[in-house]
Amino acid sequence: MRIVDFENVHRAYTKGVHVLQGISFSIETGQVVGLLGKNGAGKTTLLRIAMGMIDPQQGSAKIFGLDPREQPLEVKSRVGYVSEEQILPPYLRVDQVIALHKGLFPSWDDDLARGVIDRFSIPGSQKIKTLSKGQARQVALLCAVAHRPELLLLDEPAGGLDPAARRDFLETSIQLLNETGTTILFSSHYMTDVERLADRIVMIHDGRVLIDNELDELRESYSLALLPQNGQVSRNRLLDLEGCLGVRDRPDALHAVFEMEPERVEALLHREIGLGDVRCTRIALEEMFIELAGGQG
Amino acid sequence: MQFVITAGSELPIYRQVMRQITDAIAGGRLRPGDKLTSQRELAEQLVISPLTVKKAYDELEREGLIRTERGRGTFVTASAAPLDPSRRRERLRDPVRRLLSRAHLGGVSLDDVVGLLRELNAELEAERHAKGERPDD
Repeated sequence: MRIVDFENVHRAYTKGVHVLQGISFSIETGQVVGLLGKNGAGKTTLLRIAMGMIDPQQGSAKIFGLDPREQPLEVKSRVGYVSEEQILPPYLRVDQVIALHKGLFPSWDDDLARGVIDRFSIPGSQKIKTLSKGQARQVALLCAVAHRPELLLLDEPAGGLDPAARRDFLETSIQLLNETGTTILFSSHYMTDVERLADRIVMIHDGRVLIDNELDELRESYSLALLPQNGQVSRNRLLDLEGCLGVRDRPDALHAVFEMEPERVEALLHREIGLGDVRCTRIALEEMFIELAGGQG
Repeated sequence: MQFVITAGSELPIYRQVMRQITDAIAGGRLRPGDKLTSQRELAEQLVISPLTVKKAYDELEREGLIRTERGRGTFVTASAAPLDPSRRRERLRDPVRRLLSRAHLGGVSLDDVVGLLRELNAELEAERHAKGERPDD
């Protein structure tokens, strides 16, 4: 079943700054999609559009086939949402916040909630404002998952957490995936977390979807070519080549990312430009992000 | 058995899982009939996506090294890969090629590489032997 469907989504800010300029992709049941992009690329905007918090100015967002602006209750009752700057009421106690959420969701699962509370050892009697950042995020996650949502939207859920708290968060997400098979769309700047959790990557750049592929496919079928800056080849010449996703101009070398295996890139460079000994390698997600986000606009 | 997973390394995570299981089988630490950690447990233990573990197990099953029996679990089926020999040989082409180019760059001669291969093979055989398994014929 199609859980999320973005079609040609456009959104600009008031100043005429175009953030999203035609985003299209969809997510099927059970997929875990990592949403990547530089700061300001529009990840948060896209997730808010999915939540029905803002409207696309063109195109459409459908969740479970529904328009989140037209049927907000129906959609929100089946979605869990955690964002980095999520505000929980500071003067309420943890157990009060949990009771509040429980009241909102008929499908609330007490056993699941208790399991998460135990795992995090969340102190129910403590006031929200006295919690650490990590604990507050754990409470937010608990509230987002205990009604067994069919879709989790996580906006930088681990942002600002220390590595241990991030790992706790990741462990909980994995356990939930195991228990419920929830579909997840999450944004993150922590590429190692993305590699652990995601099975598909969508990268937004310059308002558009630059990459949409399975994570393992990305890791095995994309390559980085390092070409010496000796006037033999230009950035534009490389960008014209089949499969070239981006070129980053560095003082010592041109870094070109290709959507094909290293051996094929070597052959392509040899055939098209006459370069014989170019070093091509497979590329980790972090490097891919840096090369593409730093090499486009 | 214990696994070590490094996110952000050269190998995708599912391949790291596959490699560690095949190494354990080749080294005799996993024997035919041994039960593997369930996919769910392994995902939680390693803090990686359940789908990633599933992919690794599916690939190993396709290679004939393990078999999942509904309701019972996943078991090691073979001590050596039962795939057809020419395919098995082809799968080694890439790693061997990398090995040889590293040897060349490091100024290690082909004879020395072959010597090293024999040395490591003897080690593996000894490991298997220690586990009470019949050496390869």
